[in-house]
Amino acid sequence: MIGIVIGIFFIGVALMLAGAVAAGVLRRHAAADRIFNLLVLGGCLTSGAAAVAVLITGTRAAVTVPSSAPGGNWTFALDPLAAVFVATTCFVGACCVAFGTPYLAEERAHRPVWYAHTVFAVLIASLTLVVTAQAVVPFLIAWELMAIGSYLIIVFEDEKADARRAGLIYIVATHTGTLGLFAMFASWGARASDWSFAALAAAAPTLPHHGGVILALAVLGFGFKAGFVPLHFWLPPAHSAAPAHVSGLLSGIVIKTGIYGLLRVVTLLGGSPPLWWGWAMLGIGVVSGVLGVLWALAQHDIKRLLAYHSVENIGIIGIGIGLGSLGATYGHPGIAVLGYAGALLHTVNHALFKSLLFLGSGAVYRATGTRDMEVLGGLAKRLPYTWVAFFIGATAIIGVPPLNGFVSEWLVYVGLFRSAQSRDTLRLAALGVPALALIGALALACFAKVSGVVFLGHARSASARDAREVPRTLLVPMFVLAGACVLLGVAPGFGILAVVDVAATIGGGTPNATPEALQVVRDSAWVSGVALALLALLAAGWLVRRIALRGRVVRAVETWGCGYPLPSPRMQYTASSFAAPLLSTFGRLSGVVETSSASAFHTEPVDLVLDRSAIPAWHWVRRAAMRLRPIQQGRLHIYLLYVMVAVVVLLAYLALASPR
Amino acid sequence: MILSALGSLGALVVAAPVIPGVATKTRALLTGRRGPPLWQPYADLRKLMRKGATYSTTTTWAFRLAPLAVVATTLLASAIVPLDGRRGLVSFTGDAVAFAYLLGLGRFLLVLGALDTGSSFEGMGTSREVSFASLVEPGLFVALVALGVATERLSLTGMFGMELWQRWPVVAPSVILLAVSLFVLMLAECARVPVDDPSTHLELTMIHEVMVLDHSGPDLAFILYANALKMAVFAALILDLIVPRAALGAWGSAAVLVGALIASGIAVGIVESSMARLRMPKVPLFIAGGTALGLFGLILLLQ
Repeated sequence: MIGIVIGIFFIGVALMLAGAVAAGVLRRHAAADRIFNLLVLGGCLTSGAAAVAVLITGTRAAVTVPSSAPGGNWTFALDPLAAVFVATTCFVGACCVAFGTPYLAEERAHRPVWYAHTVFAVLIASLTLVVTAQAVVPFLIAWELMAIGSYLIIVFEDEKADARRAGLIYIVATHTGTLGLFAMFASWGARASDWSFAALAAAAPTLPHHGGVILALAVLGFGFKAGFVPLHFWLPPAHSAAPAHVSGLLSGIVIKTGIYGLLRVVTLLGGSPPLWWGWAMLGIGVVSGVLGVLWALAQHDIKRLLAYHSVENIGIIGIGIGLGSLGATYGHPGIAVLGYAGALLHTVNHALFKSLLFLGSGAVYRATGTRDMEVLGGLAKRLPYTWVAFFIGATAIIGVPPLNGFVSEWLVYVGLFRSAQSRDTLRLAALGVPALALIGALALACFAKVSGVVFLGHARSASARDAREVPRTLLVPMFVLAGACVLLGVAPGFGILAVVDVAATIGGGTPNATPEALQVVRDSAWVSGVALALLALLAAGWLVRRIALRGRVVRAVETWGCGYPLPSPRMQYTASSFAAPLLSTFGRLSGVVETSSASAFHTEPVDLVLDRSAIPAWHWVRRAAMRLRPIQQGRLHIYLLYVMVAVVVLLAYLALASPR
Repeated sequence: MILSALGSLGALVVAAPVIPGVATKTRALLTGRRGPPLWQPYADLRKLMRKGATYSTTTTWAFRLAPLAVVATTLLASAIVPLDGRRGLVSFTGDAVAFAYLLGLGRFLLVLGALDTGSSFEGMGTSREVSFASLVEPGLFVALVALGVATERLSLTGMFGMELWQRWPVVAPSVILLAVSLFVLMLAECARVPVDDPSTHLELTMIHEVMVLDHSGPDLAFILYANALKMAVFAALILDLIVPRAALGAWGSAAVLVGALIASGIAVGIVESSMARLRMPKVPLFIAGGTALGLFGLILLLQ
């Protein structure tokens, strides 16, 4: 049985890779898209089914490939933690592929579309391998495959300078992170018998500082991938440069491998990291959450805005991880389960609604040819179905009932409120709850801005006015994702049940649910009840209004404009002006440059880390290095002089330092 | 138990419009006018429900959903609050989050409805509304955490109900601070002076009112009613913090609830006639002050 499950998983991966090959071989053949879709969707379905089977049975399915290369045997395993990520990857990956093929079909004429498809399929396959690899060498290979696959597809539109720059920043950032991972695995593996994860786990008790060095390196290495502030700077440019369906996968899944890595390292170390690490994670989560959403609020490019929101949601997940690890270390398994479960479920939920929102932004781009919110508007009438899907995604991401975003934030909140019950963990609640509330409220403001400025009101340009609804092939994947958001929100029990046992094992406990976890599973029925009651009340209100308006005059007129006879779409509030009061409340932290005159007001976002710190710092390093330039004269006798000076210095050193 | 909770919910739903009525009357009396009768809000609602409606040609379903959504979410949120001083009709682990986020959903949909009109006035109102709400939300949650610490409970029923009264003598100083903090947040959340002036007639100075400029007839009635209900819910929360009602029967506690609505109407009226609306840039400071009171309450509990 176990062998069959992992076998089915690998058949799925093979199908995805076959899809990659098929796209590369068939290229412009008439059936290329259909065969590619069939293979990759089939692969996602197959691997996803294997993951779901593991989640239901709770057993680990593993296979070991003997290897004589350094690092020992290669083990791949589908355990419940990996299965959560594989199932999400396959579902979201399938939706993105189904969207991506018709989305890119229009660009067939002037771009090598097959190349994007091939890389994309390899990227999905590598994502499933990253989370199932259970030894250092295959993990790092899959990790690099994923990193380079992402790069190759970020620079897909490489005629644009923005895309090339985004790719460059991305590749530098991801490899800096990988460097951290090399350091982490090397210092850990030095104490283990071989480089399988099982051996690393066995070596965990011998690590100095309770694994503190390993955990710090993990935050650096995986934090770059996840996009915690201040390591997020590569994320907004990269995610806005890629085609929409790729951005969906990058924001939905690829950055989550950073979260997976952190959770895996914590699990291997035995589930209760040192206190400072838990507090650091909580702090990083709060900072990433608040700054991520604040910076999102300042954006006018719809995809950059969504990318900054990924930083925010990664922050919420970070708060969950910090809560989980502090709960475990303070000896409250109930809090640990709630924290980790909230983090895991938010990972899944964010993957669903963020990819949905990115696909929505892709549909807007297809219909209007722009991502600049300031020239959009009124699309609700032109793209009614896209608007409904985007609206569901926006309502889910701000974390309100009755959609899935609420459920995972609720879990984290319950964990935080539980920590308010005992003296030792009380500070956790005092910091976490208000921060989470601020993040939620700012996210609401931000999505009111996107939805309002892009979809509602009047069109601000001809391209928005003449937009046409995208074809059904693009709408179906969006509605599948929206359906998942609704399902996990109205019936949250499924999602919570799927993650609580995994969460318990991360915290070093047994999969048998703790009373605290059982209580949220039970009370999730109330969440369903609230969702259904809300729908019933809306229906009742609709009925009341209908009856009240029966036989009355219902008129349609222009929006009231204070009696001004010549209203124009330019009179509407813009994205800049909408966000201005909030941004000014936060002062310089909000990272905008304001330009205003008697008749115009505009804000331009800058990234405080990349534009204001990293690049100036790099320029400073380069200028300092220029001072060293005179030593490179290019004349042979000067270099001979250097060699001689070096030899003399060395000889002098040996003469003085050698024992007498 | 259920009957008493239902009875109090019924009393709240029926008596909610009393608050704006009493507030207007208080303000009138304090400024030497006679003012409209106390039941004026009811008469207004009745009039609006019998009118036809006017919809802007710019609007879509978002505009028509907004009034329904604010009423539905506020009603559901009030079902979570222990209105009879004992328990809420709906009560579960972490329902405090559902309470705050249901109000958030209502606000989100109201804001989308306003943006749906494409009016620059309404854009201005929504921008201000979401800005100030972003600051109110952490304040509300500070109060909730403090009560969570005080009662060691996870639901509003525990935080505002009987468990609070068993510990009240010990935690009284901070609970009173929290009640004041909630009053400040109520003024901000429900768009009253000094954050917003409901009686102003100049669009440029409005926040809440300007978001609903284009709503008419039954839609406007829904929105006005939902706003009154939201004030009533906050008044009930404050009441739960300062007056024990466990000993009273179902009738008694419902009567006290109605009395509290009247009292909070008077309090709002006094505030409105004794000070002017703050300048917009000063509003965040006012809300931060309310939040700070809650934080002091929390710090007192940490001792």
